[in-house]
This record gives sequence, structure tokens and C-alpha cells, in this order.
Amino acid sequence: MEVDSAPQQAVQEIGQINNADLVVGIVADLSHEDVAEVCAALRTLPGSPRIVVLQNRLASDATSTGSDAPAQDSISLIPWALQNQSSPTTSVESMLAAYQSILTIGKRLEVRGCCVIASKLEQAPPKWVCRLAEPLLEASCDFVTPGYARRKFEGLLNSSIISPLTRSLYGLRIQNPMGPDLGISQRLYQKLLDGEQNDKTGGNGMHLLASLVPLVLCGNLQASQAYLGARSYPPSDWTTVSSLLSEILGPIFLAMERNAACWQRMRTSSPVKILGRPTSAPQTTGTVEIDRLVNSFQLGIRDLQEIWGLVLPPASLLELRRLARLPTGQFHIPDELWVRIIYDFALAHRLRTINRDHLLRSLTPLYLGWVASYARELEVAEENAIEQRLERLSLAYETGKPYLVSRWRWPDRFNP
Amino acid sequence: MWGQVKQALYQSTTRFVTRLATLVPGFIALLVALLISFLLAWIVWMIMRRLLSSIRFDERVSRWGLSSLAEWSPQNSPTLLVSGTIACAIVVAGFLIGIAAFNSDMTSSLVRSIFAYVPNVVGAIIILTIGAVVARYVARSVLIGAVNLNLGYAHLLSVGTRWLVMVVTVAMALVHLRIAAGIVELAFGILFGGIVFALALAVGLGSKELVTKSLERDAKRTPGDTIEEPLRHL
Repeated sequence: MEVDSAPQQAVQEIGQINNADLVVGIVADLSHEDVAEVCAALRTLPGSPRIVVLQNRLASDATSTGSDAPAQDSISLIPWALQNQSSPTTSVESMLAAYQSILTIGKRLEVRGCCVIASKLEQAPPKWVCRLAEPLLEASCDFVTPGYARRKFEGLLNSSIISPLTRSLYGLRIQNPMGPDLGISQRLYQKLLDGEQNDKTGGNGMHLLASLVPLVLCGNLQASQAYLGARSYPPSDWTTVSSLLSEILGPIFLAMERNAACWQRMRTSSPVKILGRPTSAPQTTGTVEIDRLVNSFQLGIRDLQEIWGLVLPPASLLELRRLARLPTGQFHIPDELWVRIIYDFALAHRLRTINRDHLLRSLTPLYLGWVASYARELEVAEENAIEQRLERLSLAYETGKPYLVSRWRWPDRFNP
Repeated sequence: MWGQVKQALYQSTTRFVTRLATLVPGFIALLVALLISFLLAWIVWMIMRRLLSSIRFDERVSRWGLSSLAEWSPQNSPTLLVSGTIACAIVVAGFLIGIAAFNSDMTSSLVRSIFAYVPNVVGAIIILTIGAVVARYVARSVLIGAVNLNLGYAHLLSVGTRWLVMVVTVAMALVHLRIAAGIVELAFGILFGGIVFALALAVGLGSKELVTKSLERDAKRTPGDTIEEPLRHL
């Protein structure tokens, strides 16, 4: 655990705190003003709860205390090297290690809830952090997920796979099931950390995040969605898309495997409790290179058919081959096909049809094909069209669920 | 004179018949050993076939990335190949036991040398199997990685990589079998170098157009003209 790798001064500071009601971990690289704003918002929480704010700093900076708050303040601001600096990991991995640190400290202090602030927000509503924290302190909710203002081409992996798959499997209509900004209650983090300890396979932080929604559903806990404004997404590097897919989808598919009995019982989805109102954000400018995306898809069709042939049924392969022959202007992957592809990859992951890393990385051209199809469709669309488009996709995931259940139960007998 | 001839003929006939008579038990032992080994091999073949079929060995082999094993198998079934190989090994062992029954120095030394060579054969088979698995894994990694990097010659790279690994594997197996070590080393050097050279040429010539296009695009682009792609995946 990262608690031991933290600076001694920070460990001592936490050791001096006997109890607290809330731990807020700031993973995002926020300025001092932003952190002060977060603290000011937290001070307005009803009942003056005792709050420990862990501010992410590099190990070198973390030796100096940042606790410039008044002595009688209900907030303890502790600089903390949340990201594990000792081992060379990817940015996603190091951020996920931070989640584990925050939850472990929360468990040590026996707090009522833990909040993680992992993004920079634009046009955030005032006291937005209270939307994450308040339901946890009131014990009215166990899992607070963020709702961000929609932009056409942001959070594509979440929009295309994570969110609709979660909705279809676990029946919770959540925009961002894996955060990154989250509120987690005592009941939920205890279940989560206990599950991690019992997990002999040695899960990482991503396993932890992927386990949240299944735990909420299977443990009969309450989830809600807090609208936080527009999120500032880090720029994407197209060469790392395959690594992202492997890092993110692997734990999601593993969670599917572990909770198969639970999600197979779920038939329909329902909305969760909403906190705040959805806001709109100015759409980003810039042209999507659809040709490049379609080229990637066509290259995949040409060279990866041998691998996809082990994963996808002949009907899907045939349809993909037909799509590859279409000109870019007419290129479109139907939602039903996309949903079946994701379900087939989840099944192949479970059956270990091929090496799991190979499997997930080989999804990249198909994912880029979906992105091309989506970008072409929404290039000139209005803002409200984004929500409608993604709702259609989510419904396709729900409609296709019997296909997944059948293939999951009888992988050899049911192979259309 | 005639008596001496008759005696010599009689003695030689006696010697021949005696020698032949001493060989008969050996022949019978060989026949019995072969018969038993055939019977045993058939039983083991049946058991192995059923056992491997019940655990869906063919599918598992394909999943482990050893689909090339199916290509070498009778009726494309690794189950048949494995059970057949074990059965053949039992028959060969029976034959060697039968040969040893002659109890002559020559057959004993033949059996000894054959048995001494068995570990080399087993070692070579293990090397070839591991090599095939590694070749498949590396080739797939290269193929997927190259496709994800939008390289048009991904398939070529993958095939080249697989051949490189297989050439190394076969050379190692042959050296392990002590078959013409000098020739193997020379042939390995030529083949390995040839494949690397061919790959370098193919990739170099294949990417000529790509590099030209890239340079042209960079040349046309004015400073500060960087267009940021709006796509954000996570």
C-alpha cells in the first residue's frame, strides 16, 4: 500500500488525526487558488464535519507542509504524494494508485465517505465539490458519480463502451461509471477494500474502479449522479489508444466475469438519483481526420481477420468486410453490430480465446472505426443530438443483452 | 577325402543350425515384444484419444496459439497427432526391447546408443514446441502493434518475425540433435541474415512513399499551423 511510501511528515500528520468524517483526495493538478476554493466549499457543508484534504504533490514538494489553515479549522490540508513515484508506471496506473491510497487512508480514519477530485473543471457550478460529499455525509447515497457537460468528441471510450455497457449489465444509467471524480461511502469502500484483500489475483487500481458499479448493484447500495460542469480532458495520443483499451477494458471484462450471476438477473435499466442540473459547454473546434480513422479500420480488416475470426462469429465478420469496402462518405458501423462486437470480445476475454492483451489491443481498429462512424454522424449535429445519439447506443446495448447472456451461458452452442 | 568333405559339411550345417537355433528365441522374443507393444500402443492410443477428446484438446491447442500443430497433424487433429506419437513411441520401445533380446553385443550397443539419443530428441521436440508458441505470440504482438500504428506492411513484419523466431528455433533443435552442426550454423547465419535483409528492404521500399508524403505534408505546413485533433478518448 502507498501509505508507507508517503513522506514521513504526512504520515505523522495523518497519525495525529484521531477521527474524521470525510477524506477528500485531490489527484488533479489544481492551483493553490483552486484548492483554497475547494476547501472553502467544504467548510460550508452542514454540521461542520471534520475533513481531511489530501493534496497531491510530488514527493519532493510534499516535505513542506501546506497546512496554512487556521488551527481551529475543521479541515486538515495535508500534502501527500498520492501518485506512486517509486515505480515507473503509466499516468493511468499512477492515478489509480492514488485512488487506493485515498480509500485506504479513509478506512484508517474510519471516515463516513471518501471523495476523489481527479479532473480540472471548466464552468463548474459553485460548491460543486459539495455535490460529491454531501450525499455521503447524509448517508443518503453510497456512490456519487460525476455528470459532465457533453462535448461531441470527448470521453469517447466512456461513451462508446464503458457507460452503455455498465447500463446494460448492471441496470444503472450513469454517465461516467468510472469517474474519475467520485464520492464513495464507508459501506462501499469497506466492501471494495475487503474485496481487494480477498482477491488473490492481485488487482490494480483499475480493478478497483471497475468493481464499483457491480458492488453497488450486487450489494443493494444507492448510486447517484452529480452534475459538475464541463471537464477538461487531457489531449489524446492516437498511438496509445490500444494501451488505453487494454488497461481500461481488461478490468471491466474481469468484473463482468466475477459478477456474471448478478448482471444476468438484471433485465432493465433505471435512472439514478440526480444531483444538480446538466449544463452545456461550448463545443470544441477542430476537424476530426475521419479518413485516417477509416484507414485504420480498413487496415485492421485486411490484417487482423485471422485474430478476429477467433473472436467474432462469421456474420459479424462478413458485415465488417462489407463495411470496409464502403467509401469514407458512406462509412457507418450500425449500433447493433458494434454492440455484438463488444459482447463477443467480452466473451472471448472470459474464454481466453487468445492472449487477453492481444485480444483487447486488437479491438483498436474496430474502436477507431466506431469513432469514425460516430464523428461522421455528429460532425454537424446540434448539441442536443449528442445525448440522443448516445441514448440510442445505450438502448442498442440493452436490446443486445439477451445475445450476450446466451453466448455467455452456451458459448459453443449459440454461435450465430 | 570324401569322408572329410562330408564331415566338414556336416559340421558347418550343424554350426549353422545351432546358430540359427540360438537366434530363434530372440526372434520369438522380438515378435512377442512387438505384438505386446502393438497391443499396448493400441490401448494407449484409444485411451489418449478419448481423454484428449473429452478435454477438447484440439480447441485448447488452437487457443494456446499452437494452430500450426494442427496443420502438421493427420486430419488436422492434434489429438490424433499426440495419441499417434505416443503409440509409435511404445511400438519403437517394444522393438528395441525385442532387439535387445538377441543378447548380442551389437544389438545391445545399438539399443544403448538409441536410448542415449532419446533425451536429445525429446529436448529438440520441447525446443520446437516452445519456439512455435513464442513465434506465434511474438508474431501476433508485432501484427497487432503494427496495425495499431497504421503500418501498411504489418502483415509482412509479422510473418518476417515469425520466420526469424522459427529459424532460430529449428537451428537450436538441429544443434541439439547433433545433426551437421557446422552446416546448421552456416545455414542459420545465411537464412537469418537473409530474412533481416529482406525485411529491411521490404519495409524500406514500402515506406518510401509514406516518408515522402509525410515530408511533403510537413513542408506544406506553416509554423503555428498545428491542428489539434478534438478527439478525447478517456
